[in-house]
Amino acid sequence: MDSSVILQIIVSGALMGLVYALIAYGFQLTYATSKSLNFGQGELVMFSAFCSLTLQDWGVPYWLMVPLGLIIGAVLGLVVEHAAVRLALEQKSEGWILLTIIVGLFAFSLAENIWGRDDRPFPTPIPSDSFNVFGIDITWTEVSVAVGVLGIMGLVELFKRRTLLGKAFDAVSADRDAAELMGISATRTVMLSYGLSGMVAALAGILVSPITTVGPTMASAIILKAFSVAVVAGLNSGFGVVVVGLALGAIENLASLYLGSGWREAPGLVLLIMALALRPNGIFGKATIRKV
Amino acid sequence: MKRFLLVRGAELLALLVLAAIPLFIKNPFALGLLTLLAIYGILLIGLDVTVGYLGQVNLGQAGFLGIGAYTAGLLVANCNAGLFTSLGAAFLICLVLGALLALPALRLEGPQFALATLSFGALAVTVLNEWEDLTLGAQGLSIDRPTLFGHPLDAAWFYWLCVVLLALVWLGMKNLLSSQWGRAFEALRDSPIATDAMGVGTYRHKVIAFAFGSALGGLAGGLYAFNFQYLQPQSFTYELMVILLLGVVLGGRKNLWGAVVGAAFIVLLPNLLSNPMLFRAFSLLGFAIAAFAVIRTRSLRFQTLAPVIAMGMLVVGSFTVQHTEDWRKAIFALMLFSVVVGLPEGLMGYAGKVLSKLFRVPAAPLPEASNLDDVVPMQQVNDNVLLELRDLKRHFGGVKAVDGVNLKLTSGSVHGLLGPNGSGKSTAVNVISGLYAPTSGQMMLDGKELPYGSLYRVAGAGVARTFQNLQLFSELSAIHNVMVALRDTYKTPWPLVLFGFARKEEHKAKADALALLKLVGLEDQARTKAKDLTYGAQRFLEIARALARKPRLLILDEPAAGLAHPDAHHLVEIVKRVHGRGISIVLIEHHMDVVSALCSTVTVLDGGQVIAEGTPDEVKRHPKVVAAYLGAAA
Repeated sequence: MDSSVILQIIVSGALMGLVYALIAYGFQLTYATSKSLNFGQGELVMFSAFCSLTLQDWGVPYWLMVPLGLIIGAVLGLVVEHAAVRLALEQKSEGWILLTIIVGLFAFSLAENIWGRDDRPFPTPIPSDSFNVFGIDITWTEVSVAVGVLGIMGLVELFKRRTLLGKAFDAVSADRDAAELMGISATRTVMLSYGLSGMVAALAGILVSPITTVGPTMASAIILKAFSVAVVAGLNSGFGVVVVGLALGAIENLASLYLGSGWREAPGLVLLIMALALRPNGIFGKATIRKV
Repeated sequence: MKRFLLVRGAELLALLVLAAIPLFIKNPFALGLLTLLAIYGILLIGLDVTVGYLGQVNLGQAGFLGIGAYTAGLLVANCNAGLFTSLGAAFLICLVLGALLALPALRLEGPQFALATLSFGALAVTVLNEWEDLTLGAQGLSIDRPTLFGHPLDAAWFYWLCVVLLALVWLGMKNLLSSQWGRAFEALRDSPIATDAMGVGTYRHKVIAFAFGSALGGLAGGLYAFNFQYLQPQSFTYELMVILLLGVVLGGRKNLWGAVVGAAFIVLLPNLLSNPMLFRAFSLLGFAIAAFAVIRTRSLRFQTLAPVIAMGMLVVGSFTVQHTEDWRKAIFALMLFSVVVGLPEGLMGYAGKVLSKLFRVPAAPLPEASNLDDVVPMQQVNDNVLLELRDLKRHFGGVKAVDGVNLKLTSGSVHGLLGPNGSGKSTAVNVISGLYAPTSGQMMLDGKELPYGSLYRVAGAGVARTFQNLQLFSELSAIHNVMVALRDTYKTPWPLVLFGFARKEEHKAKADALALLKLVGLEDQARTKAKDLTYGAQRFLEIARALARKPRLLILDEPAAGLAHPDAHHLVEIVKRVHGRGISIVLIEHHMDVVSALCSTVTVLDGGQVIAEGTPDEVKRHPKVVAAYLGAAA
């Protein structure tokens, strides 16, 4: 096959992979503070995308819709934290896995009944035509994905590193009890992390919707790959997700080319199982020392 | 006897009722539901092994159901295989796949385990869908139900087959889970470190538990295929998985009855939803139960309030929504949410408590305690060196926690290990017991090199230990904590355990464990869960559990830490009794009175190095020791 076609497929796959990276980044945020993550994050992406679409239907202009959509995502993240995570964390149980799945299921059913089961287009002012760089076609939508993903990740990282509230993140992540003794509310920090996680997930939804269209199942495949990216990169590694996200996006496009489109989900799943087998802490993750 | 009659009687009655139904009810629809109930019962019993006993969220069981179904279906469709051949193949393939998946999943806990199984489930559906040459993909696969020794299986006979298999699985599981295997599963859920340190081995137990649970999923899959006689990959997706979890959690984890009740619920749910009156009654009932909990406990905490809200939403929904089928997932979600939050032990877990109070079912009686000499035989004491450390080092990056320790422990002695906090005592003990591998140096036990960096293998070499931060199996009773660790007791291979051939050794294990509990003064609390014991009793239980290893060397890591004075006194008595049996002891301790009362030799560490050695009185006056504890004289 023509090498420029293969390159084209790799590049457009990698750009899609950034969406997985962004959602995976959201997992890392909550995992850092609470060692938990939202198994219903895919439904959160979908639900906030539907909300954003509805805002547009009501006549809210795109550029105003984006911040509103992010706020909706943050609120949904807080709902998940309150309904599904807090109690389980207090009891130091793994119940949050089940509860976040359940909340996701509920959101799915709600979306099905409010907005219907059909996929709907997501209007965007970003042109869908492409330009040519070194013989590779890149669409403006793809550029918007890259800019949006890297932009918000940069902002959140700045927030974590430069503000006192952001430092609280690291403190709670390092030692929850010690942080509490220093006057940092661990509960609030966990809430904040879920809010931020919901926010980045909502942005992922807004960015990807013009490509995938909006429907109840729009995120069910994406979320599996976001899990893969998070696990393969390591749940406690910052920018590893970007590298792994780019790689996975490219690999799955190649798999879909060579093995057939039905197999495009497979590499992510296989990679996840293999990563867990070989490096449970991820490629970029740090091993922890067991203490007794 | 009463217990036996009630428990076994209830099981037998349930089986008879299930078996007799087709004789009286000829309705094919009802029979279909009952068949499905038996199949899901097998499936959920398998799922409960990981979800209940291993305590891990398993999202792969729907995948195993699918693989089992296709294995059996394809064998019948393509190879004309017989009924038992195809069911056996479904069982075996899932056993192997389960073991393969467990190998990576083995090191994982919590979310990582859930993700690994979730990925497996999704991968299974992808493969079934895409391998069209074999499975016909989304088009679906039609299967003719094979005959039973040439006898065609009509609906009733197939139902009886499923019930018989369910009964066999039930019996096998009951035998397995009430044996050392079941205890080991729970032990490794509560503390994997202690499980390894007690020589049980988390590795094979986790693999076998998961593989066996998955194999039951495969068996259920085979029956599923013959029941519906038509398969589609889309039947085995994530949604089914969530429903299966709903079944296990709603019925009650760690509970065979729970699995079957959960299965009944799953099977009846679609019918429940299609009948508005029934659905309304059901949601009102749920609401009443949840509200009753609030009234009874008078608490407005999230845990009691949230189920009321969820059930309230369900009631409102049941009266306003026209097409309940459209809201199926939301209804599942609300029910599951209420159960997970408000009734974590599930329906049967709760019912079991109420029933055993109601019928005053006595707990199974404990046997007479064994003679202690048979459990922990007196060991010959000589003046040889039992444990020798040569230039032992363990560094963590730049931190030299243990930095060149030499130590000789005489057989039959109580050897104290002292030092200020951070002097490297605990690290030294963790290296000896195999939690950490040494950076360099040698460790010899009785002239033979100790295994490095494996708790399990060090335990096998005859070293037992307790933990400074208690590592009890908190959900197990005191006697079960000790029974898990018993050495040289469980010899029946596990296939025989399934058929109930482990009763005798089980009886002896109980008696032996009781003798050890007596030694530390806990025989009256044998049935108390470890987490409900007082702090002092928990410390003593750790010692009894370590003794069950029949160790040559016992390491006690700060056994008196946090003990009140009378308990500390009792501890000294216990250690003296243990020492009197000829067991050599390494004692890490801060309480000087305890050390003086017990130790013949004391080694003092500071900064990872030995600074003094001698009798307790000698080291107390040693200038370096004084300096280490009080600071050097100016």
